[in-house]
Amino acid sequence: MAAVGSAASWLFRLRAAGAEGHWRRLCGAGLARGFLHPAATGKDAAQRRQVAHFTFQPDPEPREYGQTQKMNLFQSITSALDNSLAKDPTAVIFGEDVAFGGVFRCTVGLRDKYGKDRVFNTPLCEQGIVGFGIGIAVTGATAIAEIQFADYIFPAFDQIVNEAAKYRYRSGDLFNCGSLTIRSPWGCVGHGALYHSQSPEAFFAHCPGIKVVIPRSPFQAKGLLLSCIEDKNPCIFFEPKILYRAAVEQVPVEPYNIPLSQAEVIQEGRDVTLVAWGTQVHVIREVASMAKEKLGVSCEIIDLRTIIPWDVDTVCKSVIKTGRLLISHEAPLTGGFASEISSTIQEECFLNLEAPISRVCGYDTPFPHIFEPFYIPDKWKCYDALRKMINY
Amino acid sequence: MAVAIAAARVWRQSRILGQQEQQFSSLDDKPQFPGASAEFIDKLEFIQPNVISGIPIYRVMDRQGQIINPSEDPHLPKEKVLKFYKSMTLLNTMDRILYESQRQGRISFYMTNYGEEGTHVGSAAALDNTDLVFGQYREAGVLMYRDYPLELFMAQCYGNVSDLGKGRQMPVHYGCKERHFVTISSPLATQIPQAVGAAYAAKRANANRVVICYFGEGAASEGDAHAGFNFAATLECPIIFFCRNNGYAISTPTSEQYRGDGIAARGPGYGILSIRVDGNDVFAVYNATKEARRRAVAENQPFLIEAMTYSPSPVLPPDPQSREPTLTWGHFPLCRIGHHSTSDDSSAYRSVDEVNYWDKQDHPISRLRHYLLSQGWWDEEQEKAWRKQSRKKVMEAFEQAERKPKPNPNLLFSDVYQEMPSQLRKQQESLARHLQTYGEHYPLEHFDK
Repeated sequence: MAAVGSAASWLFRLRAAGAEGHWRRLCGAGLARGFLHPAATGKDAAQRRQVAHFTFQPDPEPREYGQTQKMNLFQSITSALDNSLAKDPTAVIFGEDVAFGGVFRCTVGLRDKYGKDRVFNTPLCEQGIVGFGIGIAVTGATAIAEIQFADYIFPAFDQIVNEAAKYRYRSGDLFNCGSLTIRSPWGCVGHGALYHSQSPEAFFAHCPGIKVVIPRSPFQAKGLLLSCIEDKNPCIFFEPKILYRAAVEQVPVEPYNIPLSQAEVIQEGRDVTLVAWGTQVHVIREVASMAKEKLGVSCEIIDLRTIIPWDVDTVCKSVIKTGRLLISHEAPLTGGFASEISSTIQEECFLNLEAPISRVCGYDTPFPHIFEPFYIPDKWKCYDALRKMINY
Repeated sequence: MAVAIAAARVWRQSRILGQQEQQFSSLDDKPQFPGASAEFIDKLEFIQPNVISGIPIYRVMDRQGQIINPSEDPHLPKEKVLKFYKSMTLLNTMDRILYESQRQGRISFYMTNYGEEGTHVGSAAALDNTDLVFGQYREAGVLMYRDYPLELFMAQCYGNVSDLGKGRQMPVHYGCKERHFVTISSPLATQIPQAVGAAYAAKRANANRVVICYFGEGAASEGDAHAGFNFAATLECPIIFFCRNNGYAISTPTSEQYRGDGIAARGPGYGILSIRVDGNDVFAVYNATKEARRRAVAENQPFLIEAMTYSPSPVLPPDPQSREPTLTWGHFPLCRIGHHSTSDDSSAYRSVDEVNYWDKQDHPISRLRHYLLSQGWWDEEQEKAWRKQSRKKVMEAFEQAERKPKPNPNLLFSDVYQEMPSQLRKQQESLARHLQTYGEHYPLEHFDK
């Protein structure tokens, strides 16, 4: 027994020393399974990882932009970046690990196609990445910066809020960094926990001078990202990472633009307005089906798309019609962007409201790991809130 | 039994592995670590940081304005050197008047450039006019050298209708697109990584342009400084980092700001060519900047220049009671002469004697004047005439600036974005309506209609 024990610990040491080749051989010899995964067999395997809390709903194939191709979200991003670098000789893409293709494969092939001076790695330093990007944009060239996870954008907060957002205003329009776009993976992913799941849009919503955009799908992403890149104001483009592979639809190969600061009514309805952005749009789509089926309630679904400056008019118009509003996001409830929407809508549409505005959001905690299924504002919580609103 | 067989299998595998490992145990192998290119050493030794005899300070003139080493004489023509002198003295005159104007409540805030005029003018003169400048807040001499009119300096300080910045920022936050001087912002060191990005873009554009980035020794402690240095080196950017080390960051002396050998010593840590110069010696500043510019553009790499200027260390004259280390360079105490800004009264942390001592002992303007006199390019008559003329120019600009109205309050709302968002327009309209009713409570008479 002791010999086995010490052999096992020796195996651990060997692995720790990074003797890759040896480790693989030992694994192949079947030892690994015996020593290192004692609970792998039998009924304890019930702790499987959860399925996704949503089903991605592709939009119908767009006809007005020419030939389309089946793309997932990261491929649609690559396509947008490819189009940008082809059209705009000043455009460059940079950030951590973008050269080999990026940790989410959004920049695969671009360095080979456009050159190492245009698609390149930077040192591991978010404040540097954004500051550097601002400087490129100040000269008029197009800067597309990647922050590897939105959770890591905070070292760059000063550069974004105090510098990028204020560049034009403080200089009396002598200088600006409008050709800066920051892209970053965003939102829950099933297992990301505190530092790979955050949705920080609310922090930036409080900052006049920048635009914050969040797509729900590959088709939306490409058009919105191209608009961000071409927009004459610094933009932050958050990409729902859980959709990178899960969301697949037909996306035009050629460039096209989807306007910023325009919400989209993706389904018309009479009784309740549901507002969300990013992944959560697919959750509320399902909630709308549930409401129709179980309650006979007709929901109007709005994808906000741009967080700031946001499309107040579209949401108002809808609430004036329905009289009820439910807003849902993964980010924590307090100070989340739903508070801004709620506050504005009650100001503008007070007399049209049949019920208090409902917000179904993450709890006021950091984003947990093992408790994710309980944390997220899933369809049951949204459905329940909707039901209470209908019965108010 | 099964256990014993498994153990035997493990043991046999380890013998095979052991034989393979013997290939690596030679005594004269070279290190192959991807992270560093170096030899092995078998003696335990920590590298001692050298702060006692740190990086030497390059100078061209002595305190009397005499060229020390003729081969370092830049041999600048008379017109150019006179322009140096006039820029520095005009700046000094403007500083005195605007400082006073703040003390009298005419402008809200001001920062003087006393003692640092040489760093601004010497470096600006070594650049091309189209080289992009990112400053911190104490580089007005660069704009002065580039012939930024007094009227516009004053307009920005007064926030009047002629201010190209449209009255949005506190005084001394100058910017000029025409003269390639990026508008100043208050947060420290934020300009450093930005300057690097601009340099990268200039390299890509084959613009034959360098970017220069100014900052103080205090700002060099910020994370943005580290970020900027590292990016410039790894991305091979044609940039000059110009650190003005005046020994103080508001009240914080350099002994509390860093423990290494100043800022110049950090350069090599990033792989950056670095030099320390006497900031009171306009020719030294000029020579260093000129050479850095030439090589930065030709070789696409960054340069770091640390210009030492006035800043009395707390122990000057030496205080026998003090137990603080005497951080002087030789017996060359360096200091910021003026207060940090008009919000500061440095007598709270420096003695008046120190400031007077340095003002009389060494100053970039007086050093250059000695040089001009010895060349026969200047004399007392011209000095008197110029003092009168420069003061007159400044006073005229000042009076004009005072008289002008402030910009229309609608300019509060523009340029947040390139286009005004509809929600912001609504806010603008709501202010207009508010002023219709409550306008008497607002200083509308000073603002453009």
